[in-house]
Amino acid sequence: MSHQLEQLEPELVNDERPVSATREITGRSPLRIAFGRLLQDKVAMVSLAIVIFFAVIAIFAPLIASALHVNLNTQSTCEVTDCNAASYGYGLPLKGPPMHGFDIHHPFGIAPQNGDDNLAYWLYGARNSLFIATMSTVISTAIGLTLGLIAGYVGGIVDRSISFVTDLFLAVPYILAALSLAPILDERFAIHPALQAKVTFWSLIGILSVLGWMYLARLMRGEVLSLREREYVEAARLVGMPTRRILVREILPNLVAPIVVAISLGLPAYVTAEAGLAFLGIGIVGKPSWGQTIDQATNWWQRYPLYLWEPVIGIVLLVVALNLLGDSIRDALDPKTRR
Amino acid sequence: MFAYIVKRLISGAVVVVLISMGVFALFWFGPRNPALPLCNIDTSNRCRPAILQAYEHNMGFDDSVVHQYGLWAKGVVVGRSMALGTESHKCPAPCLGIDYRTKLPVWKELTTKFPATLSLALGASLMYLVLGVGVGVLAARRRGTWIDKSLVTGSLLLSSIPFYLVALLASLWFTISLGLFPSTGYHPITHNPAKWFAGLILPWLVLGIWGSTSYTRFSRGSMVESLGEDYIRTAKAKGLPARKVVFKHALRAAMVPVVTIFGLDFATLLAGTIFAERIFGIEGIGKWGLDAVTVKNLPVVSTTVLVASVAVVASNLLVDLIYSVLDPRVRLT
Repeated sequence: MSHQLEQLEPELVNDERPVSATREITGRSPLRIAFGRLLQDKVAMVSLAIVIFFAVIAIFAPLIASALHVNLNTQSTCEVTDCNAASYGYGLPLKGPPMHGFDIHHPFGIAPQNGDDNLAYWLYGARNSLFIATMSTVISTAIGLTLGLIAGYVGGIVDRSISFVTDLFLAVPYILAALSLAPILDERFAIHPALQAKVTFWSLIGILSVLGWMYLARLMRGEVLSLREREYVEAARLVGMPTRRILVREILPNLVAPIVVAISLGLPAYVTAEAGLAFLGIGIVGKPSWGQTIDQATNWWQRYPLYLWEPVIGIVLLVVALNLLGDSIRDALDPKTRR
Repeated sequence: MFAYIVKRLISGAVVVVLISMGVFALFWFGPRNPALPLCNIDTSNRCRPAILQAYEHNMGFDDSVVHQYGLWAKGVVVGRSMALGTESHKCPAPCLGIDYRTKLPVWKELTTKFPATLSLALGASLMYLVLGVGVGVLAARRRGTWIDKSLVTGSLLLSSIPFYLVALLASLWFTISLGLFPSTGYHPITHNPAKWFAGLILPWLVLGIWGSTSYTRFSRGSMVESLGEDYIRTAKAKGLPARKVVFKHALRAAMVPVVTIFGLDFATLLAGTIFAERIFGIEGIGKWGLDAVTVKNLPVVSTTVLVASVAVVASNLLVDLIYSVLDPRVRLT
């Protein structure tokens, strides 16, 4: 504890922040200290605000959409887009940008050709993106944590087989898994669009979690290997504490920092992956995704740039904010890695 | 040393075999009927049950999966004749299947797509290595100044943005809106080197600059560490010129971890190549595989996946072997 405060001191001086004379030096856990450090970080707080903004959008997307009177159901296409193949604006919306001014009924404009409401698709895109990322993070963290703990603590043949499986999975990039599953799922479920939407959605979560746990497992294994030799673990073993209790009560609390870091860096990676796969046409099908919108909007770039900018700005804001927040959390938990 | 190499090679081979089994099983059990996509392609989506059954039987999909995997594995080694629908095609070794659309051996098509992917990947990795190490060394030498801070912050921000967005916007802006770069694509270097270069320069730059950000951080950290070593002070004290101290003494020591990361980063490069081929319209292996997904050309997809995974395994193995030469302690594990 005093060791950590010593490390903190020169930094505060460097940052030219006043060091208050009556600073509390007792009764604060390392996590509390890290949290306090995080609160002082302006970049982290701005990022957190952006992340909360998107989280609110994701959770309340249906409410926000109905409050703004937009929905995913497309009107008859020719009512909202130009169906005259001879005109310059063929395919472009008849209301709102880019040919007309702002339209209060479609604040983000209308998609060319198919006439979808952009705002509705943007809101639900955020919802699907964050839901997939969160689920994948939770599942992959659980898998990585469990296997890492077991491999590190039990050792021997168990450790060797888990390490082999870890290496095996590391050889399969998620993009290849998605590539091989996409045509198979399409072949199997294309005749039931509603079922296909559900299956591609959950299989994407499956791919991302099953191919996302290895780094955490390796990290945990390494940490546990050294932690299990500590005196207090030995003492716990000697007094007859059951293995499960040793793992959960003695070892796990020491691993909170790397787990929090892994989670905070996993989320933006999954958001990126989800949209990227949808952009390539091997992601989710039948549900809105920012990646799909980007793919469609690329062809309209010259005549309707706003259509592309909306999902691009959504992804960039969310991913950059998540990444910066993750970096700040890592710095706060371990001042030695400070930029 | 020899024993270590043999051990690593065997474990690599086991992983490759396991992956090939996994991919084979996936494309065997995954689809409702593995022969249906071919039947649909051949009959323009008017496949009738009688034809389908004949297809299924000829292609061995009513056989046991173990036996068929055996035939497939044998075909990889010595070649075979492969039934496709009602006709039979010659498929010389290494036989990975027959393309459902062109009816050519998949391996042959793969080799025609390979130069594009290789050109893209080699050029890009050269660029990000040089750029990343260069910027990293610059930042480390100017440590603590505004140059260092802006380089580090810039690379952090750039690397936070997904690669495909950077590539897509660069492609749209620089080739379509501004017209600063010639249109991208692959032209064989043997036909016209200037055209080859012109078609790939923007993808190289984008992949290189985006990819260099992680190397900037690694080599900066590594360089800062090695610049603080005693032998650097000695080199300076004995009057060596600053350039020699930095590039000959410090850089050499700082490069070892960077080289390792370079090899282990192969999967990232692979994903980057797939996105770049799609966005910049380069007819390489990645785009070939992606295009095959839409028409459910299953042999092409499974081959892309298999070849790419084997490449990842091979690159990891290579790094392990190189690292065991650089750092003998590794061999003990």
